[in-house]
Amino acid sequence: MTIVAQDPSVTGEQGMLRASVPVPADRLEPGPRSHRFQVIDYDATARVLLPPATLTPGTWQSPGSGDAEHDPFWDRSDTALLSDPAFHAQNTYAIAARTLAVFESAIGRRLNWGFLGHELYLVPHAMAEANAYYADDVRAVLFGYMPARVRRATRNGPGLRIARSGRLDPDAVYTCLSHDVIAHETTHAVLDGLRPRFLMPGLPDQPAFHEGLADIVALLSVFSMPEVVRSLLGQADLGGRIADRSVSDEDLKKNALFTLAEQVGSALKDERGSALRDSITLRPSTRWTSNPRYNEPHFRGEILVWIILETLAGIWRKRLEDISFAGSVSLARAAEEGATAAQHLLGMCVRAIDYLPPVEFEFPDFLAALLVSDAEIVPDDKHGYRVAVRGAFARWGIADADNHIADLSRSGLTAVYRNLSYTALRSDTDEVFRFIWENLELLQIDPRFYIHVEHVRPSVRVGPDGIVIAETVAEYIQFLEGTPGALSRAIGLRVPGAVSPGTRVRVLGGGTIVFDEFGRAKYHHRKDIRDTGRQQRRLSYLVGNGLFDDKALGVSDGMPAGQRFAILHQPDANRKETW
Amino acid sequence: MSGPATQPPVLATVRVRMYQVGFGDCFLLSFEYAGQAEPARHVLIDFGSRQLAAGLNLADIAGEIDTRTGGGPDVVVLSHRHQDHMSGFGGSGTDAVVGRWKPRLVVRSWTEDPAAPADATGPAGPSGPGGPGLRAGLDQGGAFATALSQAIAASARGLRADVRELALAQLANQAAIDRLNAWSRTGQGVYVSYGQPLALDAVVPGVQVHVIGPPTVAQHPAVAKERATNPEYWQLYQGLAATGAFDPAAAGGPTATDERLVGPARWLVERLQGPQLRSLLRIVTALDHAMNNTSVILLIQAGDRRLLFCGDAQIENWEYALTFAPDRQAVLELLRGVDLYKVGHHGSRNATPRTLFNLWTEAATRDRAMIALMSTKKSVFPGTPGSNTEVPRETLVTALGQRMRPLLSTMDLQPGVSHVEVAAPAFGDAEFTEVSS
Repeated sequence: MTIVAQDPSVTGEQGMLRASVPVPADRLEPGPRSHRFQVIDYDATARVLLPPATLTPGTWQSPGSGDAEHDPFWDRSDTALLSDPAFHAQNTYAIAARTLAVFESAIGRRLNWGFLGHELYLVPHAMAEANAYYADDVRAVLFGYMPARVRRATRNGPGLRIARSGRLDPDAVYTCLSHDVIAHETTHAVLDGLRPRFLMPGLPDQPAFHEGLADIVALLSVFSMPEVVRSLLGQADLGGRIADRSVSDEDLKKNALFTLAEQVGSALKDERGSALRDSITLRPSTRWTSNPRYNEPHFRGEILVWIILETLAGIWRKRLEDISFAGSVSLARAAEEGATAAQHLLGMCVRAIDYLPPVEFEFPDFLAALLVSDAEIVPDDKHGYRVAVRGAFARWGIADADNHIADLSRSGLTAVYRNLSYTALRSDTDEVFRFIWENLELLQIDPRFYIHVEHVRPSVRVGPDGIVIAETVAEYIQFLEGTPGALSRAIGLRVPGAVSPGTRVRVLGGGTIVFDEFGRAKYHHRKDIRDTGRQQRRLSYLVGNGLFDDKALGVSDGMPAGQRFAILHQPDANRKETW
Repeated sequence: MSGPATQPPVLATVRVRMYQVGFGDCFLLSFEYAGQAEPARHVLIDFGSRQLAAGLNLADIAGEIDTRTGGGPDVVVLSHRHQDHMSGFGGSGTDAVVGRWKPRLVVRSWTEDPAAPADATGPAGPSGPGGPGLRAGLDQGGAFATALSQAIAASARGLRADVRELALAQLANQAAIDRLNAWSRTGQGVYVSYGQPLALDAVVPGVQVHVIGPPTVAQHPAVAKERATNPEYWQLYQGLAATGAFDPAAAGGPTATDERLVGPARWLVERLQGPQLRSLLRIVTALDHAMNNTSVILLIQAGDRRLLFCGDAQIENWEYALTFAPDRQAVLELLRGVDLYKVGHHGSRNATPRTLFNLWTEAATRDRAMIALMSTKKSVFPGTPGSNTEVPRETLVTALGQRMRPLLSTMDLQPGVSHVEVAAPAFGDAEFTEVSS
């Protein structure tokens, strides 16, 4: 399918940079609508429902039969694409479907959404606002648009984005035409399915991870479009070569490849923090935790983005050194090397999610999960990805502690599998609970607290060398609720004084257990509910930032249903000053 | 030969009346002199209401002020251009009274200077760093709010009512602006910004003022980076506003949905009015915050008494004084010694920065006598359950109630009672006490 490669403001010699990309095969109904997505073009501001787009033959090809030349959108003018709601629908669908595919192929299974339902609704022109967000309460990603200025809007009819002809105003700014915005928001939805409790009140790293990962996926998935990478790297000489300094630090930092959502960002500066980030330009510091700026999830999330981009840039440069000749490299090869490195890093990041604990996320958890999960599938690390990632984290003072993820095969204790069914362990939460029950000592789980196995998810992953790894990932949680006084007596927790004595306070713990293909427990990544240091940090953060309501602490962040990401995209850096 | 040297009048008593204007602000400061050597001087800070209290109107209040001041205040301060701070100055049934007043000094924010170009970055003109167009952005945002407030029926309920209320609060009151402009011409009009000298004692002997907000764009470029102060932002919305397309359907009301629409599309369309209202609320809230942040913040020093009046200033305005100003340590020291605090923005969650409040709970300050005056009314902005956005904010009221001796609120006045008054000797180790109600 034809898509806008970045956003309409990023242009090449032929105008708006576009790409022809493969989209996962599916049976498409008008919308387009597949078994995972449905595009519904309803504008709640203007209260206009456009008919579902029926992609003409050639626009969407049957599996294996299509190529770029047959998509009629490919040859249309920029203005025609910008004003055609059917193209907007196709663009939104294609990028969202590709984003989901990135996750499913890396993780090796179908991924469920975080809500009850099989289809995520994509609403390309949901409202006149410079925002786009995943709204779990309506099972949708809502993309806003910014009407054109008066002079153009008047020409098209009095201010409506939809002219009498049924065409859209090409001068308006549409977030549904930004590759990065679509990929970013779809990632929020996918991650919500994988780790639904990451939307609960937690430590500041948790919302930062949502934002950071969404940016990482948006940025790295661009590399899967070689023509885009080639175009953004610059003009090749007659021999098809570019100066190898084109991938120098400075050039990369200026490059659209490493920034997000050009048009949306420039149109509305502070409207949507995530659209404007230039994470690669951050200056790493091990003292960042004392900088209040990083209490804000967007800024905090940029640390993760910086780490991954820095790793990518380093590996890309290293790969080019091997093929550089007389200060230049083949443009095609440079793009290919970048794509290979980006694809591997993206896969690493996505696979690591399965190794994360289900609650209480912190940055070192991600580092540990990256290293352990990657070592499973790429044991030798001949290109040095893990070394580079570890080094990039270290520049921010984030290290992986020994045994952060417990290797159960080396624990000294032998797991008990008495009366357990290996087959049932791959799918049955009760069976996994029994495993936990039989192995409390091995897993260091305190049974005094409520235990609930929430998910058991089998996966089959294929490594770059063709190695197939079959695993089952089980997640359990523990929690404890009570008044500040009760928690003090139970686990010695000091709830901040701003919380009234009758407030219901919830603390969480839990873990992820990874089983191998024979049903043997391999790894255990846990967040101990008894870790009062962490619990204290969490409650202090939540109270200090007003992330609680009048009746409960640690249960709700006080945000209206479905609006979490809408609000998150309009960061309030001063929240700690509020009441 | 010259006669005997004239002794400057000595301040004796400071009185502050907080008038019952419902959801709004109206404070009359009266400075009395020893031996009545000088007539008392009166400073009126804001006069407006968004929603009146039962049994009182602004004309009643204007009459009381007129009587109390003997024909009008000597100084008028408009903290910022929101209806609930200025509607009493014109067009609200008060004209017969306030039209007679002749204040000698009118104090407003630098953003209100009618002579300044729209792209001014401060009172000195358009020079200096920072984005241009702060005033132009606010003006265009006001036009959008007008269209929005007209689009939503007055009978709206719930979130729609919230959007309408907030839009209405942004509307410029031209009659009031005209009157303030006229007073500024016949008396003296000054447009202040952080750190600017303000010679109040020329009109009110013995009283000094520190202007600690708002900062100019040149001082604090961040104030122009708020999206609602960017003219381009509002230009983007004007096309839609002109169509009246912002009238969101009432909950359960008809939509543009084709009646034949079935299945997921219908399910979703029926649910998208909620997010749309949230979207509008965000847009208008951005404008509201930007306007609040043009509030004049005055720290008034009358003898040994310090009074802090801050309009509706939110943290983006406050943060310059509290965090970024080169002389902030001196300002913080002044703030630690405040005797009377006019609670910012009717007790909303983001207008009494914790950094400010914490200055009054330090070991060295927590036992100082302090009084707080809060002019507010419940149910105008009730917020939604769990959103923590109700005004006044419960947690703030609790904290103020614990720290202040006392926290006086217009919500506690008996029906028909027009004001509460507090007074304190200007000198000595004294505190404000309630005089009458």
